[in-house]
Amino acid sequence: MKNRAKRISDLALPRQQRNWDGRAAANFIAGGAGGALLLMAAVAGLGTEATRTAILLGLVLIGCGLTCVWFEIGRPWRALNVYRHFATSWMTREAVVAVAVFAAGGLAFLTVWPPLVFLTGLAGLAFLYSQARILAANKGIPAWRHPRSVPLMVATGLAEGAGFLACVASLSSPLAGVWVLAGLMALIAGRAFFWKSYLAGLTADGAPIAVLKVLSGMDSKLMLFGHVLPALAVMAALAEMPGRNGWVLSAGFMVVASGWFLKHALVLRAGFTQGLALLHVPVRGGGTAGPAAKPGWKIMPDAKAGY
Amino acid sequence: MTRYVMSIDLRRCVGCQTCTAACKGANATPPGVQWRRVLDIETGEFPDVRRTFLPGACMHCGNPPCEEVCPTGATTQRADGLVNINYHLCIGCANCVMACPYDARTIVHKSHFSYGNQPLPSEAMGFDPERVAVSMKCTFCKDRIDEARITGRTPGIHPEVTPACVNSCISGAMEFGDIDDPGSNVSRLLGETQHYRMHEELGTEPGVYYIWDKS
Amino acid sequence: MKTVKHVPTYCYNCVAGPDFMTVKVVDGVATEVEPNFAAAEVHPAHGKPCVKAYGLIQKTYNPHRILSPMKRTNPKKGRDEDPGFVAISWDEALDTLAAKLKTTRAKGVIDESGVPRLAASFGHGGTPAMYMGTFPAFLSAWGPIDYSFGSGQGVKCVHSEHLYGEFWHRAFTVAADTPSARYVISLGANVESSGGPCAVTRHADARVRGYKRVQVEPHLSVTGACSAEWVPIRPKTDPAFMFALMHVLLIEHQLDELDVPFLRDRTSSPYLVGPDGLYLRDAAARKPLVWDTAQGKAVPFDSVGVVPALVGMFPVSGAISVDADDVVQEMGSVEGVTAFTRLVEHIGKYSPEWAAGICDVPAATIRRIANEYLASACIGETTVIDGVTLPFRPVAVSLGKSVNNGWGAYECCWARTMLAVLVGALENPGGTLGTTVRLNRPHDNRHKSIMPGEDGFMAQKFNATDKAHWAVKPTGRNMHKTLVPIVGNTAWSQALGPTQLAWMFQREQPAGSDMPQPTLPDVWIIYRTNPAISFWETQTLVKTIATFPFTVAFAYTIDETNYMADMLLPEATDLESVQMIRVGGTKYMEQFWDCKGVALRQPAVAAQGDTRDFTWITTELAKRTGLLAEYNDAINRGAAGVSPLKGANYDFSLDPKVEHEPEEIWDAVCRAATTSLSEGKETHDLEWFKEHGFYTVPMSRLEWYLTPTMEKLGLRYELPYQERLLRVGRELGNRLHENKMAWWDQQLSEYSALPEWHDVPGRWDAALVNAGARVEDFPLWLLASKSMQYHAGGNVGIELMREISLNVRGHGGVIINAKTAARYGIADGDRIEVRSHIGATYGAAVLAQGIRPDTLVILGQFDHWAQPFAKDLDLPSLNTIAPMSLELTDATGSGADIVKVQVRKIAPTRIEGVPA
Repeated sequence: MKNRAKRISDLALPRQQRNWDGRAAANFIAGGAGGALLLMAAVAGLGTEATRTAILLGLVLIGCGLTCVWFEIGRPWRALNVYRHFATSWMTREAVVAVAVFAAGGLAFLTVWPPLVFLTGLAGLAFLYSQARILAANKGIPAWRHPRSVPLMVATGLAEGAGFLACVASLSSPLAGVWVLAGLMALIAGRAFFWKSYLAGLTADGAPIAVLKVLSGMDSKLMLFGHVLPALAVMAALAEMPGRNGWVLSAGFMVVASGWFLKHALVLRAGFTQGLALLHVPVRGGGTAGPAAKPGWKIMPDAKAGY
Repeated sequence: MTRYVMSIDLRRCVGCQTCTAACKGANATPPGVQWRRVLDIETGEFPDVRRTFLPGACMHCGNPPCEEVCPTGATTQRADGLVNINYHLCIGCANCVMACPYDARTIVHKSHFSYGNQPLPSEAMGFDPERVAVSMKCTFCKDRIDEARITGRTPGIHPEVTPACVNSCISGAMEFGDIDDPGSNVSRLLGETQHYRMHEELGTEPGVYYIWDKS
Repeated sequence: MKTVKHVPTYCYNCVAGPDFMTVKVVDGVATEVEPNFAAAEVHPAHGKPCVKAYGLIQKTYNPHRILSPMKRTNPKKGRDEDPGFVAISWDEALDTLAAKLKTTRAKGVIDESGVPRLAASFGHGGTPAMYMGTFPAFLSAWGPIDYSFGSGQGVKCVHSEHLYGEFWHRAFTVAADTPSARYVISLGANVESSGGPCAVTRHADARVRGYKRVQVEPHLSVTGACSAEWVPIRPKTDPAFMFALMHVLLIEHQLDELDVPFLRDRTSSPYLVGPDGLYLRDAAARKPLVWDTAQGKAVPFDSVGVVPALVGMFPVSGAISVDADDVVQEMGSVEGVTAFTRLVEHIGKYSPEWAAGICDVPAATIRRIANEYLASACIGETTVIDGVTLPFRPVAVSLGKSVNNGWGAYECCWARTMLAVLVGALENPGGTLGTTVRLNRPHDNRHKSIMPGEDGFMAQKFNATDKAHWAVKPTGRNMHKTLVPIVGNTAWSQALGPTQLAWMFQREQPAGSDMPQPTLPDVWIIYRTNPAISFWETQTLVKTIATFPFTVAFAYTIDETNYMADMLLPEATDLESVQMIRVGGTKYMEQFWDCKGVALRQPAVAAQGDTRDFTWITTELAKRTGLLAEYNDAINRGAAGVSPLKGANYDFSLDPKVEHEPEEIWDAVCRAATTSLSEGKETHDLEWFKEHGFYTVPMSRLEWYLTPTMEKLGLRYELPYQERLLRVGRELGNRLHENKMAWWDQQLSEYSALPEWHDVPGRWDAALVNAGARVEDFPLWLLASKSMQYHAGGNVGIELMREISLNVRGHGGVIINAKTAARYGIADGDRIEVRSHIGATYGAAVLAQGIRPDTLVILGQFDHWAQPFAKDLDLPSLNTIAPMSLELTDATGSGADIVKVQVRKIAPTRIEGVPA
């Protein structure tokens, strides 16, 4: 199967964006999880080594994401220009927060001083939030700009952070405490809620048909592997079933993997462009105007005008 | 105040792409990059079918989402409404490309020419290495608008200071001018026709008006 | 600091031009094409060229250009033979060619078969002449030349419209009077693609004004898109549709709802037709009779004070009829029926209900359109133009390619002209107008082309069909003089003969033919033409081209025809050379100006490589061929175009004995043109034109309309009854049969007084059966259509055109109805095979709703295999699979771009970014 030459008229229809590829997706995938992991490390009350491990992992994840982005941008040697528009650009803000993350995180890693760890956690959260806002600021991509994408991105980031923490905890001693597991459980539930809410919002407000197809198509998989099974695993761990660490590890892994699957899909499979709209098909001479058209879109009758 | 806008009369447009070609010549854009183009859109089902030609480019929005997201300040909005890119600042992050709901922006990561890697003399003349790997789009032929300030001529009236696409349009579909001036050709035309702006619901306040019927 | 200049010049890359433009030149490099706003006031499109002009920058700098003369080193010719072209000097090239021409000339300009030894082919609608400098003067100096090897003339042009249009109203092409039209029925006419900036501007203004255009065609073209209504008619059934429109007007309305004065005074409607189908004529004067309502008797049509009856049957005694070969029949006492009544009787059977089944258009739609047309005709209203009161009839009918050529086209052209006649809209403001003349002269003024002729009609210069004068021996290889009386025998006639016959007869002559064996030309000159891909059955045709003994091509890049050439001569092209042409007046496609004048093409940039100005090449050739004096004389006579160099009040003649530099020649042309146009008031030289670009003088809009001239001359349009054609056809039949030629009998059936519907689409089915194929295997129609980007196809090697053409739906593939595609399991973008009974062509499927389920459409004709860039486009072409067929050739010698096909998917394709 070969690709047909792209035609300009294809722009009329929403189509998958190709400007941000796997490298940019990696930043959302790894960076979001990393930021949230820093937050989790700050609040989970882990031991020193586990905290240090979590911080290191969080920083590495964020670092990897940013490195990927650096390889993606057209003019990498001008990358520092990214700091020039703090007033409105969430990308600038993300870059500023990244400095705070690495400054605080580096010191926290070295000292494991609780205030610093806490500060790192806050910076991690800010990083995660910035990323969610970067995505949502893309008005040209309906699946991203929907207001419910922000809580979804934050929720999945937090869940992934907790998932990572659970993994770290499961591999270190002492065993992950009830609070960690309860937190993970709550975040799994939260993400499930925000995912469903996002999907419902997108459907109700109207979206490119292809977007709804992609997202609806992955709904059951995401719910099963990202929420139901991890939740069962957490419950198994809480119920002290044999192989408790294994349950925790698998729960954490599934939460992280499903979150990454979700973000990968959002960026690289559901990142459809707006396409064009003909509010009025023009009158040609003595003819009549044709009905409005929004090619490639599914619009619910009571959809709001824009989101 | 001055706010330059464009009106496009969809009743007139025949989708001939003369504006597309004129823009490519005036702005020396590489193959495949069309700052301005005309979409050929079919709606309806046989035999009740409509085919509409929809010229599109940067809408020079009043509230440009590209400007908001740009992390470098390369994209700015001028006092006269033109949305501008400073190629020297842009890092090619593509955030603006996706912030634009009009598909108006492009990034070309590697220079290429009509007949391969070597530019034709005409392409060499117009080639700007600063435009490689950064975001680019329709400028409303800003050099001409700037010249108008110097020469005192009026964009939309005098061809030397009017965007190339508007000048080239053989169906007379396009007008350009200051919408804040009630006497401008654009203001007058919009006053006597029915028109819409695309994706206005997104709050972008686009500067391109599509005329579809008389008022 | 860069030096920037804006050079005024023109674009005439397609017949819709010429249009003005300027070229922006930066430091000696052409960088941009722009409109010439200095011409905004005089040019109907306000000084703007169309999209093609913008490709001329790349055309100039195209790396694939041939930049020096070349000769062939491989004596074998064929698609699989590398010609082995090697660069040579201009001296060697010109000496070789001159020697060849001298040898040819020494043998005699006419060969043993009676046809010219020198043949020449030029492409698209006469436009090459506007780029070949003084070469027409060389051709004129040479003498007889065979122009009959066409590159698409007759099949790619609006052929029947050319011939019948000039016959009926001096209309080489026909257009609506768009600026004042209120209702236009357009059957396949694609003016928004092929009408150039002038048509586009006029129709856009008309749309905003609110005129209604109904587009009747099998697929929704660009013009259909811009129309108020689209009627998807079954291919090749247009005559039935138009007959039904006439039916509504003639049968369902009262006579006084039509334009009775026009019918009575400006047409042959009152002429009395006898029982033998011929006019009843006065026995002494041989003039057709009319029934004088004042005297109550039949009198010659031009009797003083006659008030002819338009309708009725009247007793006539002592009249005669004059049949073919001047056979006079004494009629005795008979009933004479007016031609109009014959028309009404004739059209009675063609009701909308009858047509609906044939055309696949509801009867109600046909009836509504006819009624809207009539209601919009404003019969009785007048308008004032330049102080003259004229009828105002703002309705028109226009026809497109494949409607107005090939079988059925005679019927269509007749019905179209009749629809105008019935409401008095022929050649009146708002109505259906001719643009210019080409078969008649002078080319720049169709009013002056009218002379009073026999029977109250304008004089016609048909090729003789009488025994004494009929050209039993063809004078050109396409037999235009022998077979097509109506095409005449002026400069354009040969190229408008049945050009496919020239190609077909090289391979095979019809059985029982008594014709001389066709010969190949000793020398064939080609310029801006590529029949190897632009005609039909191209796989076969290219083999014929390979047999030509000596072909010289003025060449821009290698292409499929000059691949077989012996010599390539690269001329300085559009932006590099000098030439002056006429602009303004009235001309196809919709160039109706309020002024007339001349425009200069001048070098914006230096000629690339060792390419040379065409005028320089021509002068050198004339000198080396020993024809310098004749060549200069021809230039002095005006053969290089524009004006004679000597007129009543001026003399800028060149010394015939000496060689003149191109600029010297064009300087004289500039002076002669301006002095002539201004009637001696102004004279401008070449330098003036280089700065100003053009010169015009005002022209009255009355020049647009022929009817006032007809009225002044007391002439009638030869409509509705075609007695002359009937007679000429019978006479031609007599000649052919006397010479044992029965193979043109089908074509003879077209010569009828009142065209009848016959199963036009059925002819294609019959051709399939005769070719041994099964009709049911080829259920779909394949049509070709044009786009503005590639109107003439000469710019197919230009990357810019390729890029922007892809913005237009259908370019780069085969347009197919989405439901039909689903039936064949074809998705958008899938590679498909379109197969006729003679071959297959391949391309991507372009799924659309705006096309009939039984029809496929291919834009352009891209079957290139040699031309750089173009050969890599991998695009389908109708030309590969449409047969050259005598049985699909009509009486004018034309065919239509349509073929019956089957379709199947070859390979699936994915569209990037869109889920399957």
